[in-house]
Amino acid sequence: MTAEDTEIKFNRSLLGVDHEIGSYAVTREMIVKFAHSTGETNPLYLDDDAGRSSEYGSIIAPPTFCNMFVSGVTRPDIELEFGDVSLFAGQAIECVGAVRPGDTLFARTKLKDVYAKTGRSGKMVFQVWETSFANQDGDDVARVQESFVRRSRRPR
Amino acid sequence: MNAGKIYFEDVDLGDEVGPVERIVTDEQVIEFTQVWGREEGPTRFTSPEKARSEGLPEAIVPGAMNIAIMSQLITAWSPTVRLRKLDVVFRSPVLHNRPLTLRGMITDKGVVDGDPQIECDVTMENEEGTPNVIGKAVVSLPVRE
Repeated sequence: MTAEDTEIKFNRSLLGVDHEIGSYAVTREMIVKFAHSTGETNPLYLDDDAGRSSEYGSIIAPPTFCNMFVSGVTRPDIELEFGDVSLFAGQAIECVGAVRPGDTLFARTKLKDVYAKTGRSGKMVFQVWETSFANQDGDDVARVQESFVRRSRRPR
Repeated sequence: MNAGKIYFEDVDLGDEVGPVERIVTDEQVIEFTQVWGREEGPTRFTSPEKARSEGLPEAIVPGAMNIAIMSQLITAWSPTVRLRKLDVVFRSPVLHNRPLTLRGMITDKGVVDGDPQIECDVTMENEEGTPNVIGKAVVSLPVRE
């Protein structure tokens, strides 16, 4: 953590604290519609026969499936005292385990990091949230990391 | 989908993955928003008028859909490979009904915690060759017996 980072004012008590954000019942129809709508052609995600003969014993969800649940997440306000423009900076999804029809996924999110960078247009503050998904057996299946940047309309 | 099995020994730094061509239709976006649970009224994803009112040129493809499409560079490559991680930055809006090209290039190769892996730089470009989405993929491959 740099000196610049320690100067950022926000609610630091939120760092690393898990917040439960809900559960999601996964159906075969959801998986197939997700795969079909995104143009997926791999039969492992679409075809029951291909799924049955695979190492998974059924179709599974495409690797970024859990990501669609993340955009509806309501997160705590970190009370960041900087900037007046927020932008989505990027996203990373880590595929840890298979998601099958009939699974129930439980999601938690936490504030992972807050840090500053200074570029040509001035200072920017990034906040990084990580949302984890586990199935009904407690096995982790995916982690989604999202970065948001806050900046001022006028460079400081 | 490329039906051929690809092994760790078959790939090297600088090898290209893809290209994969995709066009996202209006109908696909509507189907996606239904399974996504975002079908309450017109949105920037389904309505050109709503998109224009938000300063966008036309209706755009949702980010969650873009990252799913980007992953197909790997899922369409070979049945033997597994996408471990996909890290992306959205550079510009992806519009409906336009040709998109997915490309990848292997930039690293090694064994991480016993898992043979490669890293690929990945891009989604529009028909003008402008990158809409860029990123990095981590992919596991089996070794030959």
